[in-house]
Amino acid sequence: MHALEIEQLTVSFDKTPVLWDINFSLPTGRLCAVVGPNGAGKSTLLQAILGIVKPLSGTIRLLGEEARKVQARVAYVPQRSSVDWNFPISVLDVVLMGRYRKLGLFKWPKASDRDAARSILKKVGMLEYESRQISQLSGGQKQRLFIARALLQQADLFLLDEPFAGVDMATEKEILELLGKLKQEGKTLLVVHHDLSTVQNYFDWALLLNTALVASGPMEEVFHQANIFRAFGKRHALLEEVARLSGDVL
Amino acid sequence: MTSLVDFLTDSVLRGPTIGSMLMCIATALVGVILLIRKETLLGEALSHAAYPGIVGSALFASLIFKTPGADEGMSVILGAFLSASLGLFLISFLQKKVSLHSDAALCMILSLFFGVGVLLASRLQVTHAVWYKQISLYLYGQAATLVDRDMAIYAVLVLITALCVFFLYRFVQWIYFDRAFAKSVGASVRKVEFLVHFLLILSIVIGMRSVGVVLLSGMLIAPAVAARRWTSRLSMLFFLAALIGGGSAFLGNYLSVNLPLLFHRESLALPTGPMIVLVGAAISLFSLFFSLESGLIFRAYRMRAFKNRCLLENVLKRLWKEGEKREFSFSEIVHFNQLSSLSGSLLFFKMRCQGWLQRKGKGRYRLSSDGWRRASRTVRLHRLWEVYLVDYLGQHADRVHRSAEEIEHLLSYELERELTRLLKDPKKDPHKQPIPNDHESLLG
Repeated sequence: MHALEIEQLTVSFDKTPVLWDINFSLPTGRLCAVVGPNGAGKSTLLQAILGIVKPLSGTIRLLGEEARKVQARVAYVPQRSSVDWNFPISVLDVVLMGRYRKLGLFKWPKASDRDAARSILKKVGMLEYESRQISQLSGGQKQRLFIARALLQQADLFLLDEPFAGVDMATEKEILELLGKLKQEGKTLLVVHHDLSTVQNYFDWALLLNTALVASGPMEEVFHQANIFRAFGKRHALLEEVARLSGDVL
Repeated sequence: MTSLVDFLTDSVLRGPTIGSMLMCIATALVGVILLIRKETLLGEALSHAAYPGIVGSALFASLIFKTPGADEGMSVILGAFLSASLGLFLISFLQKKVSLHSDAALCMILSLFFGVGVLLASRLQVTHAVWYKQISLYLYGQAATLVDRDMAIYAVLVLITALCVFFLYRFVQWIYFDRAFAKSVGASVRKVEFLVHFLLILSIVIGMRSVGVVLLSGMLIAPAVAARRWTSRLSMLFFLAALIGGGSAFLGNYLSVNLPLLFHRESLALPTGPMIVLVGAAISLFSLFFSLESGLIFRAYRMRAFKNRCLLENVLKRLWKEGEKREFSFSEIVHFNQLSSLSGSLLFFKMRCQGWLQRKGKGRYRLSSDGWRRASRTVRLHRLWEVYLVDYLGQHADRVHRSAEEIEHLLSYELERELTRLLKDPKKDPHKQPIPNDHESLLG
């Protein structure tokens, strides 16, 4: 079974294609790294899968079904730097966001929702901070908070955007263990990752991206010098130019 | 002199006072939402965009009625509502379809709409002077003309606002904290945005009568900004902002009536609307300077205190290096540290107060055990940090001293433990100097 099947996906912002004709599929139960240079469309790929950005064309199938029908079974960990950490909200309230689908509009979280959130906080070792304002957290705690929120979603497919960015070694290890546990439970994880030195140790599947797809498959098959070179090199300059031209006529 | 209670009970005063308090509570609540979505300028643009609606509705009414009647208030509210909504629609059109920068779109709509309003008003001034006089009240506000009936209308509108804020509370918090995540869990961001915009326009039409369209954005933002300085809990933020808004309105009314009486000067009779805004602005300024966590005054104080601590620890360190048994005279202490005699005396006094210097006979002092420990901890942190930079981060040993000079004053006990653990409790720094440990003295 495939947790993720993407066919001919193209996404563009303001006429500039960010993802160009992407085709790949990811088997269930894999821990997959998404690797590519800045601006390669890694975050956009996650957001397209989540339905946050609308693709120009292409189809996305999740967990064997049409993406729209199974969004509830997909959890999301955005980049830590994508939000304002001075925002007036407490740790517990952030985690409760993961319960949104069960709550819906205009319903307040009940005691059972709070208990569920607390047990997740305990899992990531942050229970003692539950009533803190988020501005008082350290970098690693902020990241664990985001992961706790995703865990509360009780999903089958997890999309994480740079969960290891700017955290200390101890937190990185803890997060990695959490991801490993999820994988053992049969969940599928798609993780945007920046540190090329750890890709091979942390993940078992790889997706190399640079606007177009460079390669995807089992780590040992696709993560080699030539592909990395292609993903980070200038090979795609011509493609980018063509993509820009095609954007102009849209 | 009119007493405080009279403002809430007197049949002439209660209309303006309670009326403008209600208005300012509504604008303050909506202002909090604007503040957390970081779109404070939208209030300014839309309140100006309401002006042509006000004038337009008067123009329209002047065709039917000869003089402004009791129902003129409602038609003005309707006109303002429609025109502000049109402004909002055009702003989002310019931003989304024409990809105009947000600030540019806001400024453009603000000036365009306000210009049209002024144009229509000058026309009205010629044809229907009575009506012109009536609508010019909305420019800078005229709370004094509010009566009990207006109070009732505004009470209902404020109630709607408060209820909406109550029901929207969690969604406003979630969506404006992390829009992408909210969208990913299927939150109806557009519905909430729509309601927020509705509330904003509602608060503008509520507020324009007491403060006026020109000054209204002040009362949208000032209470929220002031409240944000005192709390980082959203529920408290709404509550405090409403309190500050209502309080400003009350004080504004009070001062506008009582200032001339207080100083026996007719010239101090200031209109209520601007007075309310001034009070609100004063509270914001006060909060910006004096709030506990981020106020300028306290920040300056904390920085000063830190500088003093650095100086003190540096002096201690200098004395420490002379050895535990060494005794100093006051002039030696000043001389060692190249201090001026004034700051030298001050530091000397502080060290005596802290019990870091022990008197040993006439004019002779040496470090007390407390002083010694404090000094040796500073040295320890300095050298630990150097080890960290050299061994752990691979920096050159010649380059680490300056950084350690600063960091030694910053490291907490937790970080000291962490460093000790991480570096496996080193005994020597990169310059082969021993690293003192808190409890054991090196020389003794």
